[in-house]
Amino acid sequence: MRERQPDPGAAGGERRDLASLLVQVARGDHQAFERVYGELAGPVYGVVRQVLRDPAQSEEVAQEVLLEVWRTASRFDPARGSGAAWALTIAHRRAVDRVRSENAVSRREQKVAPDMMADVADVADEVEASLEGQRVRRCMDGLTEIQRESIKLAYYGGYSYPEVAQLLEVALGTVKTRIRDGLIRMRDCMGVEW
Amino acid sequence: MVKTLPDDMHVLTGSYVLDALSETEREDFERHLQRCPSCEAEVRGLRETAARLAVAKTIRPPAQMEQRVLAATYQTRQLPPLENERFRLLPRQKTVRARAHLFQRTGGRVRPRAHPLDHPRDHPRDRRRLRSPRLIGAFAAASVAVAVGLGITQVSTQHQLNSAQASAAAITKVVQAPDARLETMRTRTGGLVTVVYSGDRDAAVITTTGMPSLPSGRVYQAWVMSPSGARSAGLIAQPRLASQLLASGVRSGDQIGITVEPAGGTSHPTTKPVLVMPLTA
Repeated sequence: MRERQPDPGAAGGERRDLASLLVQVARGDHQAFERVYGELAGPVYGVVRQVLRDPAQSEEVAQEVLLEVWRTASRFDPARGSGAAWALTIAHRRAVDRVRSENAVSRREQKVAPDMMADVADVADEVEASLEGQRVRRCMDGLTEIQRESIKLAYYGGYSYPEVAQLLEVALGTVKTRIRDGLIRMRDCMGVEW
Repeated sequence: MVKTLPDDMHVLTGSYVLDALSETEREDFERHLQRCPSCEAEVRGLRETAARLAVAKTIRPPAQMEQRVLAATYQTRQLPPLENERFRLLPRQKTVRARAHLFQRTGGRVRPRAHPLDHPRDHPRDRRRLRSPRLIGAFAAASVAVAVGLGITQVSTQHQLNSAQASAAAITKVVQAPDARLETMRTRTGGLVTVVYSGDRDAAVITTTGMPSLPSGRVYQAWVMSPSGARSAGLIAQPRLASQLLASGVRSGDQIGITVEPAGGTSHPTTKPVLVMPLTA
């Protein structure tokens, strides 16, 4: 189940590239930012879409996130993680904040129907086929059902862990441990190093 | 909500990384992270893992997004780096350092002085300047939203891009004026209005966010109200999102008002203002 293959998507070279570009961006380098945009816009928009669904709202939030990358580039510390993880943390949190803000009350109020669970799996067919996508799917397959569903609902669905517990009809404590165990297994399966 | 015991904290690494904690739990956990190096290390690895989950869902963004974001960067001031222990600090920088520490200790809830408006000055007229980091933070956030908003509404041709940048430059001059003061008020009907006023430049930048939508045929109109009467400062283009207006010829003692008017605006206010904000230099 554990694979430790080289990972072209986040290989050392590219990772350092993005990190050093972000360092240049912090100094006000617009050209460096264009390249950062090229690297990050797809994943940022993708994860925001996954959580928010609505294309117009997702576009708005993704723009805010990318501008936040520009604005706060000086706070990125290459010693503490990759540039992608830094930016995608901002993106996911913004999307989740938007879901939980009062603007999104209506979305919360639609009580979760069974088919919504399947819906969490993917946003239409727009997701680009990629090596990284295949790898994530394969590693997801190695998880227990509760681990997998908890992670999907929390990360792609933007649900809080108590909501996940309710949806999956399992205890709160179980969800907390399954999310952590599942992510650790994903980390090891994908050979993430940090 | 059940209080989480410190021993149970470690198990929250996963939920924290997936943003599945409530705000209170998130804050508790971030405090815990400061004194738990093993949790911190685990968070880093899981955060990289979550990033892969995001990369796996890459979607090509709408084509127009790139131009908007790139244009908005020209209107957005960047944050300076956090102060670092390695550098010797001049005495007057000590507050900054202290605040940066607080910033790190509290997991980012206190912002270091980072905005041009937030630099303490000795001039007596600056005494009443608002220095609440929360307000400055809110204004910074509003500016980001507005910059994006400007991108959306104005940047469709190179010509418009240039004019968007020109007005952004005028706005920047007001916001960065040494005597600039910031006030934020909620309107009677909801939504936030932030006004940055510079007496030296006789100008005010009016930023609105989250104003309630109006029925069709109605618009919000901003006014500069002085003893001699009210003068239009323009219509608020995107009340629900974020809009920015530049009002010139503004004197100390004038008021900024916002009213609801028929589409296209009027020459004089015809309804009771939803907001009146006095300006003092």
